[in-house]
Amino acid sequence: MSGREFFIRRYANLGWNYEDVRASQAVRVNTVNAEREEVVERLEQRGIELEKIVFLQDGYWVRKSRFSVGATTEYLLGLYSIQEAAAQIPAELFTKLEHKEVLDACAAPGGKTVQLANLMRNTGVIMALDVGEQRLQALGNQLERCRVQNTIVYKLDARKAMRLQQKFDRILLDVPCSGNFAADKNWFRRRTLADVERNARVQRQILEEAAKVLKDDGEIVYSTCSLEPEEDELNIDWAIKTLNLKTENIEYCGQKALTNVFGRNLDSSVSKARRIWPDKTQGFFVAKLKRRDHA
Amino acid sequence: MIKPLNEFVKQFRTHIVLDETLLVEKRNRYYLLNENLRKYVSSDYLYAGTYLGETRHKGFVPSFPLLNIIAKTDASKVYVDEKTEWLFICGRDIFKRGVKKTTGTAKRGNYTLVMNLRGECLGFGQFLVDSTEKRESVAVQNLLDLGDFLRRERQH
Repeated sequence: MSGREFFIRRYANLGWNYEDVRASQAVRVNTVNAEREEVVERLEQRGIELEKIVFLQDGYWVRKSRFSVGATTEYLLGLYSIQEAAAQIPAELFTKLEHKEVLDACAAPGGKTVQLANLMRNTGVIMALDVGEQRLQALGNQLERCRVQNTIVYKLDARKAMRLQQKFDRILLDVPCSGNFAADKNWFRRRTLADVERNARVQRQILEEAAKVLKDDGEIVYSTCSLEPEEDELNIDWAIKTLNLKTENIEYCGQKALTNVFGRNLDSSVSKARRIWPDKTQGFFVAKLKRRDHA
Repeated sequence: MIKPLNEFVKQFRTHIVLDETLLVEKRNRYYLLNENLRKYVSSDYLYAGTYLGETRHKGFVPSFPLLNIIAKTDASKVYVDEKTEWLFICGRDIFKRGVKKTTGTAKRGNYTLVMNLRGECLGFGQFLVDSTEKRESVAVQNLLDLGDFLRRERQH
């Protein structure tokens, strides 16, 4: 079960009419290294026009640029990062990050790790995990460029996070997913429902491990850039019913997550998560979870 | 452990003070922890705290955070104009006409940090001429510049 028509029909069944959109480019100012206004002004002098993204703390749309925003002195100095707008949401959902013990369980190539370090003002500790050798090198480069000081990187599968023998205040699960067509023009050709189901299984294993290393009063933010409910609402429904977790309300762009998927009713609290259909951003899904028995 | 770092820094005719108890080495790469991180780091890490550089066959290759630490000292520095700034980042050497100011000892063979006019460190190089030389020529040979991040991204 695959192909453009198959997936477009699925989206229609979920209440969204397919539009061929491409996400607008966005950047995020690393406010530990520079003031927002300073970066905006410096880039404007180079002919790069930015516009503040209203739902993000440090994010800007790239309105106009004569050249790549990845080829400026300011970028190389780590004053800003190129980060898709929806991808900037998960790290912002945590409450009080400074001085916390944070797990970034699927960290490479490091955009969100740098964002977490920035929100933490380089205090506390981030343990960043990933498995691919090249992806880990890219993560190291990001940390160096953006002058991150509070991160320890391990080559470790997120499904084995217990090996760290550490419990965490905050856990970011930006899990490996099937992606979406707005970020990959060959998506419809490359993806099948079998891929989606395989990814969803791995994601549940990651969620299960994360629940084991979460402190009693800790928070998990789970995100994917997949539009497929198996990787989104169905996994959160499973986490609520299996892992003693509850969802926290998210007030952001996008819409309430689905509670009826292809005729199947989910726990009503799944709707506290957020589903973002592709428009100016790519497709995205984000949920915030806490232990059920904790206020 | 600190010897290769100190040897490198010395070539800028300056010195830095690093708490050796917070320095760790892994696969010839050096990292500076802080008191807090030291509690968490175990032996199998890949990257920790502030990356300082690595020893390779040809000697010590500094990180940009280390160059920024050196830039806070009285190390030799050349300040370049905006056009030269980008040419340097693209891997080019620095001509005398692009240098707006020099601080510290500008002597042939010495290392120097390369700074833009905002005082941000762009990399480092080696003086090919003494500051007293009048003729227009390459003044600083590029040894490492920020464009290295782009070159690494391309590799990945």
